[in-house]
Order: sequence, then structure tokens, then C-alpha cells
Amino acid sequence: MKDDKTISMAAAEKHGSVLVIGGGISGIQSALDLANSGFKVYVLEEKPAIGGVMSQLDKTFPTNDCSMCIMSPKLVDVGRHPNIELITFSELKDITGKVGNFKVKILKKPRYVDGEKCTGCGVCIENCPVLFQPQIPEKPKEPSQVRDQVYIDELISKYSYYEAPLIQIMLEVNKKYRYLPRDVLEYLSFKLDTALSTIYRVATFYKTFSLEPLGKYHIKICLGTACHVRGARNIVDKVKDAIDAAEEGLFSLETVNCLGACALGPIMMVNEEVHGHMTVDKVDEIITSLEGIK
Amino acid sequence: MKKLSNPKELEKLRKTIQNRRDPNKPVVTICGGTGCQASGCEHIIETFKKEIIKQSLQEKIDVRITGCHGFCEKGPLVVIYPSKIFYPMVKSKDVSRIISETVVNNKVIEELLYVDPSSGERITYEDDIPFYKKQTRTIFGSNGKIDPKNIEDYIAISGYSALEKVLPSMKPQDVIDEVKKSGLRGRGGGGFRTGQKWESCSKAKGKQKYIICNADEGDPGAYMDRSILEGNSHSVIEGMILGAFAIDSNHGYIYVRAEYPLAVKHFSIALNQARKLGLLGKNILNSGFDFDIKIYQGGGAFVCGESSALIQSIEGNVGEPRAKHIHATERGLWDCPTVINNVETWANIPLIINKGAKWYASIGTEKSKGTKIFSLVGKINNTGLVEVPMGMTIKEIVFDIGGGIPNDKEFKAIQTGGPSGGCIPRSLMDMPIDFDELKRAGSMMGSGGMIVMDEDTCMVDVARYFMEFNLDESCGKCSSCREGNARMLEILEDICVGKGNENSIPLLEELSEYIKETSLCGLGKTAPNPVLTTLKYFKDEYLSHIQKKECPAKVCKPLIFYEINSEDCTGCGMCAKKCPVNAITGEKKKPHTIDKDICTKCGTCIATCKFNAIQVKTGEKK
Repeated sequence: MKDDKTISMAAAEKHGSVLVIGGGISGIQSALDLANSGFKVYVLEEKPAIGGVMSQLDKTFPTNDCSMCIMSPKLVDVGRHPNIELITFSELKDITGKVGNFKVKILKKPRYVDGEKCTGCGVCIENCPVLFQPQIPEKPKEPSQVRDQVYIDELISKYSYYEAPLIQIMLEVNKKYRYLPRDVLEYLSFKLDTALSTIYRVATFYKTFSLEPLGKYHIKICLGTACHVRGARNIVDKVKDAIDAAEEGLFSLETVNCLGACALGPIMMVNEEVHGHMTVDKVDEIITSLEGIK
Repeated sequence: MKKLSNPKELEKLRKTIQNRRDPNKPVVTICGGTGCQASGCEHIIETFKKEIIKQSLQEKIDVRITGCHGFCEKGPLVVIYPSKIFYPMVKSKDVSRIISETVVNNKVIEELLYVDPSSGERITYEDDIPFYKKQTRTIFGSNGKIDPKNIEDYIAISGYSALEKVLPSMKPQDVIDEVKKSGLRGRGGGGFRTGQKWESCSKAKGKQKYIICNADEGDPGAYMDRSILEGNSHSVIEGMILGAFAIDSNHGYIYVRAEYPLAVKHFSIALNQARKLGLLGKNILNSGFDFDIKIYQGGGAFVCGESSALIQSIEGNVGEPRAKHIHATERGLWDCPTVINNVETWANIPLIINKGAKWYASIGTEKSKGTKIFSLVGKINNTGLVEVPMGMTIKEIVFDIGGGIPNDKEFKAIQTGGPSGGCIPRSLMDMPIDFDELKRAGSMMGSGGMIVMDEDTCMVDVARYFMEFNLDESCGKCSSCREGNARMLEILEDICVGKGNENSIPLLEELSEYIKETSLCGLGKTAPNPVLTTLKYFKDEYLSHIQKKECPAKVCKPLIFYEINSEDCTGCGMCAKKCPVNAITGEKKKPHTIDKDICTKCGTCIATCKFNAIQVKTGEKK
């Protein structure tokens, strides 16, 4: 926009269409804003798909928001917008003309696929003879080696009458091994036809699950309100000291938000055993009474 | 047990059980709830059984392990029927005496009786104890009378009679109308009218309908659902069957916390027994109505108590709530119409059907009907579960039932509604407790936790505690809850360590407003409540933390210091010996001193000192 003359001239022969170069988040947002205000928009992207770097990120700065949650609705909008045309897998070769009336030369790379007919089902990728797989297979293709296969199979059939048995099976596995071993999760992924990433998400969301083996003595201390006002914090500090002094692998500590025995607070649980009315002195007493403690 | 094929057979079975039982045969009932288990009731049960064999009285005495009686503070509890003589805190050395004197000869052993702390009197019978006397135990009363693992016990006290009444003669709409007329409101927290919920679900269309019992009792300080499930699972099952009949559902789920193993065990035993009798399953009592219940265990996520998150969890996903512009009653579990009610709500249903909506509506206040179980915990003499009619005042609950505050301390506030609720100050002590009054005071009913706080509880610390809890349990879906709570916690932590400034309070208020407005589910929407109510009623405490750098309750460690009063200290040296960081020095028999720079304020010395010479002070160190 150098001088008024060019602008007024350009306005006279204005085409009303815009080319956005780059289909990353900023390109997508500009395209949407422009298209919504009535311009015809072409989005040019070098890669076979739009999305750019943001689509590869887990979280964004500074709010730590999930980037796909922000992005995916916009991706869909761009794809569906009647005013937006996507030109992907293409490069800009030349640009001529003035403001309001540019002419561009675009190199469209060959896809060997009829874009009009392709539905993006992904079957061709799965069957590609040179095994060009853009993603790691999420579900194991065949049952992996697993400990106690008989037991796991029994569990699967025990809960088969549940519509969604995954969490129930994981609870039992977690109880038996005191954590969720990876081989069991992989086996479950195959057997239940559930992506390993889904299982991982469940395993990390719920507090009961652990991905690392717990100590021989797993100590739970309740920090519910009733226990809190009766000084449960001091018990936690004391137990931490005791654990630091002990051998590794013997203890693990978890603070929980209510064990539901509030009348007896503060409460400490060593494996399945409940100890009520805890005091700092009682911690030593209980810990030294355990087997294998010097 | 033979499968019952019609309601008449159920009635016949009840008569047979009642006739078989001799009301004069002595029964030793021992509480087997989690509270008493932690106090060692299992050992007491064993001793009783052994002792009865030893005295060869197996034929003459029955032993019954019951569910929670509510008076957990005094466990293990033993009640001898039919005389109803009550012994708290029973020790195994007393067992043989209890059998030979009380059970066999009906003689009361004076020194084992409960002593009323306010009058010093010994009280013989369970019903006469002030803790129980003022309660109205309609739901909870049966807990102490039945063995939860034996369906015959429940049937004998007219259990499943509501089902017997409904199946042959009532239409589903009649059941809904009855519940509507009773005025029952959901006991899980929100207080939505149960009858209306059922009605909209029964009108909704779907290929399948679901009934869910929400037993994911996550509120810290509340454990009444656990006690009902452990002590009287059948009342919940019966309620669920009636609800299923009312909305025409064939599938039920109960979502129980994994932290409640005993509840899961008792509930699954109860389910199996009900199935064997034909009270669950296909064609219940020849009515053509099918219904069964599955147990689904949670994985320890507080947010799963929220209905939409709970549904997500049953569907096998992570428990993230969704927006509720469509109610679960229209599209809930697997997009089918679903009714979710809390354990206590379900346990109320058989009562309403049996005794009638009119009877039920006569209890409570104008808009909150029936009774409510509260867990009275914290700084109070009689901790435990109490069931009172709606509308009882805080004062009556805390002082008449709860027996006041231990060690003659001053009552400061009660906290209700768990992390979503708020703190109600002493000045509102005469406020009647019901759904609407609590809301007006800035708190909420929640699932019924009632945590009593005394002068030694710092309200800023309480607010900080709840913020920490909410942050920890936030599922992370909405940024306002995930990030906003973190910022609020930071500010509160700053105030607690004396780094607060004049902007802290306005900032807290502003953040609270945003978090409330922009969060999706109940957790986020109510997360600022504990901060807002403490700010409303205890602003002076915040101000002394911020302006004077003092913690009036002497809780916040960076703002307090320990000092030895040289007049009281005898120089015994006990504290110096016990101090883990060797901060106490002094010559023998002369007053000791504490080095304030080394002292970690752990409290060991205070517990050790017999002369009350160690004082906690707040403010500037001198």
C-alpha cells in the first residue's frame, strides 16, 4: 500500500479473493476470519495436510492448553467452509500483479490419488507393500508375550459381561501385581481391541493405578478434611523421614483424600491394615513392628 | 434358599423367618463397620465366638456382626439384645464377663457402660445416650439390627415389603407420583427433586434405560454412603429396583469407590442373595419385570462423583465431565436415558413407599423433606454419623448430639459440603440446616460432611487446604479450573507464609468469580466456595495474616514460633531429649530455651511437656 493512487486503482479491479500462504494455525485463523467476512480464500500448503507445527504439539504456552483441542475445530471449519479452498502439497512458484489483483503460479505436486474420490479411509496405507506407515501402530497386531496369561484371560472372561470392562480388569491387575505391568497392558490392548494410548490415558488419570511397582509396604495417609484439622500433615512428614531411612523398595507412600473413616482421624493404612488416631509417636511404633525392618 | 415366584411367597418367607426367631433369645451384636474395624472389632468378634464356645452356650446365644451404628468414636461397639444394653470401646479382656454376667444373667456391668461426658452419668441403653437420643434414625436405624451379609435379617425387619407392595398393585407412574409427593431431594449434593428427575427420564425415549447408584463418595469428611452400603446394602438394592420399575429400566449400575473394599464385598454378597431369591433378574416375583445390577468400581478420581464424569467412567473412559445442556435423564449412559441418584437417596425410596409420601413429607422443613445423615467429624467430642430431620439447627447438632468441642475450646465454624461447600461461622449457629438455608449462607448440603472447627483451626489454612484438594482433583479439561485454582492456591500459600499483600484479597475475589462462571462441571463451579465463605465470615483472619503477619489460630508454621515460659519450666529436660533437631538447650533443673532458628515447629516438645511450659506464639520473633 504505497500510495493512494494504487489503492484506488486496485479497488476498481478488485477481485475479492485472497491467497493465504501456509496452512499452520495462523494461516488457518486468517483464512477463517477472511472467509467469514466474505472473501474467497485459497489456502496454500506445502505439506500434504494443513495443521503445521501446532498440530504436533501437546500443549501450548503459556496456558498449557491442549493444542489439538484448540485446533481441531478450526481444521474442520477450514475444510468445510464454502469460501475456502485448500491447495495442499503445493508450492508457490511465482507472483505478479498489484494489490488487489495478484497473479500466482502454483506447483501442485502429484499425489497419484484422485482427490475428488478419496475419502481418507486409510486402507491404502495399511496395505502399502513398502510399509510406509506414517503412524506407529497403536494396537499390537498379535498377542504379545504376557506373564500369567491364564489369569489375565480368566479376568477378561470374568468381566466380559460388562459393556466396558477395561477399568475393572485394570483394577484387578493393579491389585495383584501392585502396579500395571507394561506387558499386561499390551496384551489387554490386543485382547480388548483398545488402543494402547487409550489404556495409558486411563492408567494415568485414575489415582489407584500405578505404572511403577509399589513398595512391599504401601502406606496411605488420609489428608481428608477431618484428618487435616487433626494434624495429618505431621504424620506425613514423620512417615517420609522413616521411609528415607529405610531400604529402597520396602516402602511407598501415598496421600489420599479421604479413606472414609473420619471419626478415627488421622488415619494411616499400611497395605490393608487401618490405623486410627495416629500420632507422631505411633508412626515409629507401627513401622518398627513391620517385618523386615531393622 | 428357594427362588420366590410371587409376592405372597415373599410374605410367607418373612413370616417363617420371624416365627423361627425367638425374640427373647439373647443376641450379641457387634459393629463390624470400617470405623470399628480400625478400632479392632475383628479381634473382639473372634473372642466373643471363642468365649461362647468355651462356656458352651452356642445354642443359647447368637452373635451378629452388624453394620455401622454411627458412633465410631467409641468403637468397638457391642449391644446386647433384647435388653439393648450398650457397651462402648469393648476390650477383649471384658468379653467373658459380658457373656457370663450381662448376656446370661442380664446383669449390667457398671464400669463398662458409656459415661456421658457432660453429666458424668453412666448410661445403660443405646437409645438413652444423648448422641442417639436426639436423632431420627429412619434410614440408619436398621444398620445396628441386621447382619448385612444375611438377606433374612433384612427381610425379617420388613425388608423388600415395598417391592411386595409395588409389583402387584402399583403402576410405574404411581411410584413416581408417590416419590414426587414425598418431596424427596437428591442427597448427593445438588438437591434436585428426585420425583421430577424420574418423571423426565420415564418420558424420555431410548432403546434402553439405565439406573445408576452413585457411591463415589469422594467428599473428604463424609462417609455415610459407605456405612449404608456396608451396613444395609439391601435397602439400596430395593430402592434401585423400585426406581427401575418406575422408569421401566432393566439395567442398573452401582459406581463404588475402589477405596471402599468392604462396601463392594457386602454389596456383591447382597446382590447374589437377592438374585437367588428372585428379587433381581428375570421376571421378578412373576411380575414380568426384569432388572439386574452390576457393580462398577472407580479408580480413585474425585471428579467421577459428578454425574457426567461418572457416566464417562462407566463407559470405560477417563472421567471428564461434559456440558450439561442435555440432561442425563434424556441422554446419559451410552446415550440412553439414565437416572443417577446417590446411595442415601436410593435408601430413602423403600421408606417412602412403605410408610407413604404423607408420612415422609411430615418430616423436615417446607422445602427439604425427610432426614439427612451427616458425618459429624473434626474437633468434636462425639464424632460419628448422625441422622437428623432437615431443619435442625447447627447448635443442636454440634452441642446436643455432638457433645460440644473437646478440651473446652471455643466453637468457631462448621464446614459443610466438602470442597464445594463453605464454612459457616458461630454467629449463624441458630440457622436451621436444609438445602436452601445452606445455599443462602454461601455453602451447600453436599453429601453431608460436617466438619467442626475450633479456635485452633486457621481459616486461611482451611481455604488453602480445599484449594489444594480441588487443584489436585481437577480433571484438567477447563483451563479456568485447572489454571485458576493453581493461581488461587499460590495466593493463599503466600498469605499463609506471610507474603500476602493488599492485592491478595481482591485478586482472590476476582479469580473466584471467573472460575465460577467459566467452568463446566460442579467441581470448578464450586471450587472457590471455601475461599469465598471464609473471606465473607473470617476476613479479619486474612487481614491479620496479610497486615500483621500473624496467624491468630497459630497454625501457619512460618508465622508462629515456640517459646518456653521460664516460670513454668522445671528444667526436667524431657523436651530437649525428644527434640528431633536439638533446638532446645538448658541446664538441668533450670528453665530451658528454644533456638527459634533451628526449631522446625514439629510439636513434639508440646506433647512431651508435662507442665504446659511450652507456648506457641505468633507475630514477630523477639
